[in-house]
Amino acid sequence: MLEFLIAQIGQWLGEDIGASLAYISNGKHLAWYASVRYTLIAAVGGATCAVLFGLLGAALKQSSFLPFKWLGDFYTTIVRGVPDVLFILFFPLAFEKGVEYILAYVKCGAENVAATTGWPPCDAAQWYLSTGDYLVMACVSLGIVYGAFAANVIHGAMMAVSRGQLEAASAYGFTPRQVFWRFKVRQMWAYALPGLSNVWMLLLKATSLLSLLQIADIVQWAGRLGAANYFPRVGLVHPDWRWKYYLVLFLFFILMTMISERFFEALQRRASRGMAITGSN
Amino acid sequence: MATVPILKMENIHKRFGELEVLHGISLEAYSGDVISMIGSSGSGKSTFLRCINLLEMPDQGEISLDGNTIRFQTDKKNNRSTVDAAQVQNLRSRISMVFQQFNLWSHMTILQNVIEAPIRVQKLSRPEAHDLGMACLEKVGIVDKAESYPGFMSGGQQQSAAIARALAMRPEAILFDEPTSALDPELVGEVLAVIRRLAEEGTTMIVVTHEMNFARDVSNKTLFLHQGKIEEEGDPAELFSSPKSLRLQQFLSSAMA
Repeated sequence: MLEFLIAQIGQWLGEDIGASLAYISNGKHLAWYASVRYTLIAAVGGATCAVLFGLLGAALKQSSFLPFKWLGDFYTTIVRGVPDVLFILFFPLAFEKGVEYILAYVKCGAENVAATTGWPPCDAAQWYLSTGDYLVMACVSLGIVYGAFAANVIHGAMMAVSRGQLEAASAYGFTPRQVFWRFKVRQMWAYALPGLSNVWMLLLKATSLLSLLQIADIVQWAGRLGAANYFPRVGLVHPDWRWKYYLVLFLFFILMTMISERFFEALQRRASRGMAITGSN
Repeated sequence: MATVPILKMENIHKRFGELEVLHGISLEAYSGDVISMIGSSGSGKSTFLRCINLLEMPDQGEISLDGNTIRFQTDKKNNRSTVDAAQVQNLRSRISMVFQQFNLWSHMTILQNVIEAPIRVQKLSRPEAHDLGMACLEKVGIVDKAESYPGFMSGGQQQSAAIARALAMRPEAILFDEPTSALDPELVGEVLAVIRRLAEEGTTMIVVTHEMNFARDVSNKTLFLHQGKIEEEGDPAELFSSPKSLRLQQFLSSAMA
């Protein structure tokens, strides 16, 4: 269907443009467009993890039980300082090694582990990661790094919720859990969303690191397709065109930014409906 | 008069760090009582009111509701806490509170504010709560504001809504913490009129207030607090016309000037 359509457009527009259209709709290019899904999955999955870690981190920071509070503070101060490139490389590999280590003991037996010097001690302990596995780990890595930022934003936003309103909720017999979820967290979004939209932008940009995990994402494809293309039978198809392909990525990320802004404006309106703060109504 | 008081507070003490703000205050409220608490700022009247529904934890003293005494425990560091969370929840759902700063939940409409606790805490069905909520809004005269958000209403309307929220719990008593102190002078009258009407209907209330005329006309018992103690208490007509203690005389002459 798509090919037919492009062929039709090509006929109307003439030979040259037709040929260009045919070129940019060949198999490799279609694979490039399809790889956008990895970026989107990593962004949405990472953001979901980041919000969950953020809520958890903020709750820990507010805990009156000191070890929890220290853990929350440790998370937000330390993890924010680690470069995301490093973390995206470190976490999946460390996790993979950890899983293999456990597998080695469970599947191969402790005596085998002790007896062999090579790795793995038996084949069952070898864990081959698929793109899907790496993608999940990318989501978790992004979630941990940007969750630390989100935790700070959410913690601040929770502090901004009117104490009097929370007190009123307690005074009317709501349990501490209800006060937390139905009032504190509910109202928190209105104060947190501007900060969270910043975190989302950073996270979205960080998805360009997916290729580091052997995931054939848009960045990796752009590099491959843009490199000088030479076929023995045809000759030079095109010289180094990487800048053109990266330009497309530029435009893609700008488009994503614009969509995100719209999305966050709508969320902000919804979260702060009735609340007399900036961005409402 | 009933023999068992709805609410009985005995010998309540409260300290904030080194500062002891309540030095043993007792109070008994029977059904239909309207008790006013007066005193200068810092006298402990708001703190005492907040001890009633345990927004502040009293360091010493007993609280009983309909003869059921709230159970407390004290840990090694001498911090007091309640034993049974459900007992506290029960107390709070039967004694509702109106705050100086209204404290309406800003993300909910007025009607949602009024019916939220009846639904979630008292487990009323939504249609039941809706009818009850509308009746309460009707009573305080702001039924047309049911779908408005608190942020877009005058202080007087917000406080009326907060009173409707208190009424919707069908409480055994309502606590008012300086209900008109945050209002513009021209809005004080409408809120006082609402509270006055509730008093006439026999609602049990404990009101911390700076409105001396209101305290004298509406309540059947007045407590004058000074530095965390009850300096003088009794029938408001008597208390206001012939104060016995020097403190009360001084307070009244400055408050009613």
